Amino acid sequence: MKKLHLDPSKPPVFDGISLRIAQGETCGLCGPGASGKSLLLKIICGLIRPEAGTVAVAGQDLGAASPSELRSIQSQIGYLFQNNALFDSMTVQENVAFPLRQRVRLGQEALDEPQILDRVSESLRGVGLATHAAKMPSQLSGGQRKRVALARAVVTRPPLLIYDEPTAGLDPVTTAKIYDLLRAEQKLTKSTTLIVSSDIDALRRFADRMLMVYRGTLCYDGPSADMDDSASPVVRQFVRGELEGPL
Amino acid sequence: MKSDQRKNSWVASLRSQARQLSQIAMLVCVGALRARRPKGELLRQLYQVGNRSLLFVLVTLGFTGMVLVFQSCLQLSRVTGDLSQVGGEFIKYLVHEFGPSLTAMMLATRVGAGIAAEIGSMVVTEQVDALRMCGVEPVEYLLVPRFLATLMMTLLLAVFGVLSAVMMGAFTAHQTFHVPYSVFLDLSKVRLTDVLTGCVKALSYGAAIPIVSGFCGLSTHGGSEGVGWATTRAVVSSSFAVIVLDFLISALALLSWQSM
Repeated sequence: MKKLHLDPSKPPVFDGISLRIAQGETCGLCGPGASGKSLLLKIICGLIRPEAGTVAVAGQDLGAASPSELRSIQSQIGYLFQNNALFDSMTVQENVAFPLRQRVRLGQEALDEPQILDRVSESLRGVGLATHAAKMPSQLSGGQRKRVALARAVVTRPPLLIYDEPTAGLDPVTTAKIYDLLRAEQKLTKSTTLIVSSDIDALRRFADRMLMVYRGTLCYDGPSADMDDSASPVVRQFVRGELEGPL
Repeated sequence: MKSDQRKNSWVASLRSQARQLSQIAMLVCVGALRARRPKGELLRQLYQVGNRSLLFVLVTLGFTGMVLVFQSCLQLSRVTGDLSQVGGEFIKYLVHEFGPSLTAMMLATRVGAGIAAEIGSMVVTEQVDALRMCGVEPVEYLLVPRFLATLMMTLLLAVFGVLSAVMMGAFTAHQTFHVPYSVFLDLSKVRLTDVLTGCVKALSYGAAIPIVSGFCGLSTHGGSEGVGWATTRAVVSSSFAVIVLDFLISALALLSWQSM
């Protein structure tokens, strides 16, 4: 990706980010607040198009894809949104079944209704919410909503999973539960996983490879374990949480 | 120099919005022709737009009919004293002009605001992005059922609105100016062209309101404040669209029917 402006009168949000994520890799994406982490995720899955440059998923250029091709690519990405983005008008079960039903409609899966409901039950059991299937999202707690969103993201067993702040605002126990679920999912499906989190310690324990964005560029791309000894003072300050430094 | 730049950016923004609006309108029209729609959603929207607006439309048009007839009778009784033509002219005016337009203005406030607020809040809570990530085209999924429901219900509600205004007008004329019901309810002045013009207007308004409101909802940004702005913009823009369409269709109808 070459450049992305959200406001033409201001400097570009991203300038010259080049990134390649291999199949089956687990990447953690971090950076200071408002550095564009969520924006980068949305660019990767084609929700926002950069002004210049290329974004390809599984070899398919998102910029060159027709609207129907783009929808087909997007339906193969499991996305856990920062605010969960559960559909208010649907029950928990309908929310989780929705991506599956759409894949059936697009001809990407051949499942009948009982099979869809089985997959939904299995997915809800996985996140410990099998008894909440008939509830509306507004009847659930923040942690439960996050788990429903996780069940919806993984129910289609997508080859690429993107998690945007999966533990934001959750207590430590629920955070640990969510990371356990993410690990279990990763183990089961071997999906490529990209995760954004402000909880840098938990993120480093989860991801094999860490990326850090700062002022529109990628200032760290390497193993999680080597982040402490990075040559960049920005990365070191961020990881150590120090008050003194360039940040 | 600065004012030139501001003018250019305003023109560019207007052009971009017009392009987006026409794209949405095209997607809605194409989507409406396809049979693929979420199960039961059209019925739900028909209920939301039709049943839930019925009382509002009946009461508004009923009271407006009463006021219009009262004022017309009052002025005519002062000038000529002959009230035999009031009913016929009132019904003719209601059918081709007033009934569909006032019904649509009412729907622009109730249904247009509802569509913009619902879609706008889905945008700011990322539900529209979630739809896209499930391989769904949001315009087709969210707007097409609302478009079809508003299209059908505007026509139907306009019919009920006209009936309500006529009945309340007849009641007012009878009670205050002793105009017999048989004299007031004179349909001889209503021609087929008046009915056709009224129907074309109702259908055009029914198409414009969900498209304009949906566009306002989909272009929401900035959280709950943005939803408020989108709702206001939807009501203002839909009402404006109704007035402009009213003028255009009236002018076209006048030219077409006169030449026939």
